[in-house]
Amino acid sequence: MKLIDWLDERIEIRKLWSVFADRPIPGGSNWLFSLGATLVFIFTLQMSTGIFLTLYYAPTPDHAYASVKFIQNEVPFGSFIRGMHHWGAGAMMVVIALHVLRVFTFGAYKKPREVAWLLGVILLAIVGNFAFTGYLLPWDQKAYWATVVGTNVAGTVPLIGGMLLKIVRGGAEVGNLTLSRFFTIHTYILPWSLAILALMHIFFVEHAGPGGMWNAVARKPGFSEPLFPNQLFKDSLVMLLVFFLIAAFALFSPASLEPQADPTDSTYNPRPEWYFFFVFQMLRFFEGKYEVVGTLVLPAITCVMLYLLPFVDRDPERAPQKRKAMMALATTVVIAITGLTIAGARAPIVNAPAVTSPSVLAGRIVFDKNGCSACHSIHGKGGTIGPDLTHVGNKRNRDWLIRHFKDPQAVSPGSIMPKILLPEKELNELTDYMQSLK
Amino acid sequence: MNGQDVTRRNFMTRAVIGIFVFIGAVLAIPLGGFGILPVLKKKKPEWSDTGSFVDLVVNEPQERRFLEIVKSGWLEEKQERSLWLVKRPDGTVTAFAPNCPHLGCGYRWFADDRKFKCPCHGSVFDINGKVLAGPAPRPLDTLETQVENGKVYVKFETFQLGIGTMIAA
Repeated sequence: MKLIDWLDERIEIRKLWSVFADRPIPGGSNWLFSLGATLVFIFTLQMSTGIFLTLYYAPTPDHAYASVKFIQNEVPFGSFIRGMHHWGAGAMMVVIALHVLRVFTFGAYKKPREVAWLLGVILLAIVGNFAFTGYLLPWDQKAYWATVVGTNVAGTVPLIGGMLLKIVRGGAEVGNLTLSRFFTIHTYILPWSLAILALMHIFFVEHAGPGGMWNAVARKPGFSEPLFPNQLFKDSLVMLLVFFLIAAFALFSPASLEPQADPTDSTYNPRPEWYFFFVFQMLRFFEGKYEVVGTLVLPAITCVMLYLLPFVDRDPERAPQKRKAMMALATTVVIAITGLTIAGARAPIVNAPAVTSPSVLAGRIVFDKNGCSACHSIHGKGGTIGPDLTHVGNKRNRDWLIRHFKDPQAVSPGSIMPKILLPEKELNELTDYMQSLK
Repeated sequence: MNGQDVTRRNFMTRAVIGIFVFIGAVLAIPLGGFGILPVLKKKKPEWSDTGSFVDLVVNEPQERRFLEIVKSGWLEEKQERSLWLVKRPDGTVTAFAPNCPHLGCGYRWFADDRKFKCPCHGSVFDINGKVLAGPAPRPLDTLETQVENGKVYVKFETFQLGIGTMIAA
């Protein structure tokens, strides 16, 4: 007896398959309907790459960075798997935005599909939280500072903000408990939530039947195609394309790993990942007491609007050309978010990027090799016998510095600094380093 | 459904299955390599300082403890190790790995009996590591030694247990 017959006898597997596969799509299959299936595919990719990453990842601040560096540099295919996970997250954001837009345009949130839409809004929030919690895990500068800022946003909520901040962070500061909390949310709570809700979402879409094209009735009366293989054929081609794109990015633009998180570094320019640029830019607009508009009011209004959409718009009409007001609203939102994202990407960098001119770096080495920090401090490190040099670049010019190195007593009578006898090249490098300390 | 529809349907069915199998196979390679290849890497044993040479008495096995720097993935740790050293009349030092080659228990030297005895399943070895009794499948494993500047250096490594030949773990 064939396996399929054995299973059919016991669990009616052919019928189960038929309910899924033979479901007719009014108006026929469409490339745009592949977006939902693509999301399932990307989620599966993230689950598999994510699970394998946890084989080596250590979720504590003293080891997280080293473990990610190990994955990136030493584990075979480590850079590729991490890259897939990183770019997969970006792909998820793009595809989910397109999916929401497609569903909106097709009016597929209207009766009888409201429940599927409501679940979908929650799924959108879950995906956003996946990105936010996963971001912290490498514990590099970008991860740490983006989380400090992001969690501070929670703190701006009136009345309960302080408490909310502490709950999210596992304490007053971003530290060990924050990391373990985010890790638990990212690898246990959210995957289960997403899997269960996504299954429900898909079930209810199936149950109500796909809406198909809005003019399905008008275009070709009675024309429909089954989900399998017609729609799934298109779906699998889109999945293949997305897979190649993510893999190409992973291979040719590996996920970055900045220096390890340094809570004392005030020269760093915190930035969120590109898909949160629009939020970042909004926060730049609202100052002082209006801050809460950007951090709480606008996001809350957006969430509420998304949630109430099927109840606010009860007109059964689904064709976009007959829903001009709704389409205008959607267009405005898309333009606004796109504009804010571009503006966020172009936001000016306040802190000058750390100077990495070779001469300055060489000068730093000269400074260390000659034991200058025995008497002088820079950024709090070193002795206090001589003057602090943290901002010496603002106080002394090049000419003075070189004369002083060659003969300190001639320039500063009574000084106990020894003459710094160095070859011309090293003297210049040391001076370049001094001048960079501003 | 006419013939053309059937072939079109068959093609699409095969294409869908083919694409899923392709993606699965392509992903299986890096995921499999990621999870498995690092464990296949052979650890290169390093020399460890196990203590002074002069403290050893000829033909009197001594248990020595030392700290080995072990690299486990991205973490370097100091792991406490032990082994048995025996100074021979010709001045050379034999180092025995600390685990019984049967199933890995730590064995001890019994000075009154002048035998190494394992507490788990009754294996007994003589001062040269030869099996005198018990289920041990091979003699005690020996480690490479070097005496330098009055210190005994040993290349510490572990071996596969329960088999008749000495193979690095």
